[in-house]
Amino acid sequence: MALLQISEPGMTSAPHQHRLAAGIDLGTTHSLVATVRSGSADTLADSQQQHLLPSVVHYSKDRPPLVGLEALAKANKDPLNTLASVKRLMGRGQNDLATIDGHLPYQFAETDSSVPRIQTVAGAVSAIEVSAEILKALRQRAEDSLGDILSGVVITVPAYFDDAQREATRDAAKLANLTVYRLINEPTAAAIAYGLDQQTSGTIAVYDLGGGTFDISILRLSKGVFEVLSTGGNSALGGDDFDYAIAEWILQQLPNAVADDQALLRQCLTLARQAKETLSHHETTEITLDHWQGTLSRTNFEALIAPLVKKTLSSCRRALRDAKLNKDEIDDVILVGGSTRVPSVREAVNAFFERTAHSKLDPDKVVAIGAARQADILAGNKPDQEMLLLDVIPLSLGIEMMGGLVDKVIHRNTAIPITRAQEFTTFKDGQTALSIHILQGERETVETNRSLGKFVLHGIPPMVAGAARIKVTFQVDADGLLNVDAQELTTGTRSNIEIKPSYGLTDNEIETMLRSSIDNAQDDVELRSLREQQIEARRTLEALNAAMESDDETLLSEEERQQLYAGHSELAATCKTSEDSEVIKAAIKKLEKSAEFYVERRMNSSVKKAMAGQQINDI
Amino acid sequence: MQSISLTQNYFELFDLPIQFEIDKAALSAQFLRLQTSYHPDKFVNSSDEERRFSLQITGYLNEALDTLKSIRLRAYYLLTLKGVSFNDDRDTTTDMPYLLEQMEIRQSIEDVEQTDDPMDELDKLRQIITVRQDDVEQNFVTNYQQGNYTDAKQAVLKLRYCERIFGEIQRMEDRLDDF
Repeated sequence: MALLQISEPGMTSAPHQHRLAAGIDLGTTHSLVATVRSGSADTLADSQQQHLLPSVVHYSKDRPPLVGLEALAKANKDPLNTLASVKRLMGRGQNDLATIDGHLPYQFAETDSSVPRIQTVAGAVSAIEVSAEILKALRQRAEDSLGDILSGVVITVPAYFDDAQREATRDAAKLANLTVYRLINEPTAAAIAYGLDQQTSGTIAVYDLGGGTFDISILRLSKGVFEVLSTGGNSALGGDDFDYAIAEWILQQLPNAVADDQALLRQCLTLARQAKETLSHHETTEITLDHWQGTLSRTNFEALIAPLVKKTLSSCRRALRDAKLNKDEIDDVILVGGSTRVPSVREAVNAFFERTAHSKLDPDKVVAIGAARQADILAGNKPDQEMLLLDVIPLSLGIEMMGGLVDKVIHRNTAIPITRAQEFTTFKDGQTALSIHILQGERETVETNRSLGKFVLHGIPPMVAGAARIKVTFQVDADGLLNVDAQELTTGTRSNIEIKPSYGLTDNEIETMLRSSIDNAQDDVELRSLREQQIEARRTLEALNAAMESDDETLLSEEERQQLYAGHSELAATCKTSEDSEVIKAAIKKLEKSAEFYVERRMNSSVKKAMAGQQINDI
Repeated sequence: MQSISLTQNYFELFDLPIQFEIDKAALSAQFLRLQTSYHPDKFVNSSDEERRFSLQITGYLNEALDTLKSIRLRAYYLLTLKGVSFNDDRDTTTDMPYLLEQMEIRQSIEDVEQTDDPMDELDKLRQIITVRQDDVEQNFVTNYQQGNYTDAKQAVLKLRYCERIFGEIQRMEDRLDDF
């Protein structure tokens, strides 16, 4: 029925075409989905009225994975198949495991892939696949409560996520069959919520301490422009670490704890989380485990987490320096993330910024709400809303030089999108290839930065050392994702890579996963295609209605008009009664066929109007 | 939509006269105007080609803004518009006393960790370099206006040293803050 719409050139979209868009906060400990309905943005609850979906997935042999509270309930009994906090593994490679797996009590599988996989009874899964299950559950929740299919989403990521972590998030969305309008940074999303819902303006600092990540962003807000001045943080520091600090303390107190007892560690973590929450309101808390009982005071707890809190303040100091601002130039300090409920965190932030930081909007929900606002605007549902989001890249990008040093091509806190080229040359006579190693991070040497990818530019004509001119172009898009292109300027030899291989899934791996997820969820696919056909049918009906309403009487005879109405009713009826996508599809085809003559007439008439020199926009 | 060409120089792009002094408010206003029209967020539902175009333009706008906002890059850019060429690997200033002072300051940065208040020392060093940078900047403007591009280029090279020292101060601050 597309032709019906084409023949209405004055209108940018059909009258009822409201695209359903959602904002997703894919968190370390819990995730949320939010949408804008009748102008107000809200998070969506499940059938039990729960807004927060625990970011936990439980795998078993004989049924599809469980997600959320149901999965969390399995954590103590079946720890190795209950995967939590996998966000910490996103974009991480095999060789990163040594530094992070102490905190992730799983069995990792032997694999050829550069992406680590966790062994479960349902096979080995990567963090990307686990995240995809969480995204699918959120998509399902959104589509159930909105009664329609999502056109696109905005997914938030920690501002301090590097390229590999952002790519991994994009891949997870691909596996979950989501159209991603944009990845935006979590503190930026929070700023959008404050800017649009609270009319906050001026220079603000967003202190965002989540379950597993910490971000500090400094932004300038004025009249719909959200400009990030600097950002900093730590993508492996969050409230989870507070839990680990308490859990380790409990383990030390236990008389005969066995090292590497995963079930015990899980138990301790559950108790630790409860203790942490209790201490937000009480001075002491009792902890009981089997025959052991102990007391943790708030003072003890604060001492345990003090080094972690101090680290966040160092990042704040650096973000201020990078923004070239003094503390007193900050108008407002906003707290985001569940971990900012810890009283000593709030006190430390207040003391650092010398003012009272606040969280007028729910610190758990504000990121998803901001993302929903952005998604609604990107979907085109708010043509009158002027909004401009100018974000920055959190970590410098560079190239390996001779001697293992890194030459920075794009510095941290550069506004994105950005395209920047740098020229390099050969260092040996007759050299015909050049290896280009791309890195991200602030350190001077290769080993201390994150390797994003290596590629080789071949076909350089033999010349004396230093004569070749190789231009390497870095392009960072609005999602903060990098693309690199290298060219030898004297001959035009070109090489282009998507920065993926080092820590990402290959396209083949993604395809295999997509296929197997479809096999595993045949019902899901059928249900989905039924809904798609129902929506398609509704669009067709609306388009036909709109066309017939807008036409004067000249294009159709009364008989033809009645005939089209009959076809319209028939499709509407089929759509209501049938549960078979193929039947609905056939009914749509039938109506389209019977309306073909009408589409043609409308086309001709609109061409005639255009030929007569009428301005289309004036109609 | 305002038309835009990627062959316009950065000053033309922002409707500014080709000179060292910059009207920062006008620069910022024109930048926001152009970003509002071309930002990738306005093209989420557009064709691949339009999305690529938007990415290219906004990348160019950000690069242009960074260049005009930086004292050294703006000076460098003005000279390249006058046909002066630079070789970033080989060009170096010939002003020996200036180089010696720069080396001393670098040494002082290395040594701040031994002082009582390293952050405060770094602030002081930053002030010293800012004063030097202002002098060199004045020197550039004078030579540039008189069409004395060889000396203007020397000034740009000296500005690069200032920039490097600011970078080292920043790195030291990061290090003191445990990054």
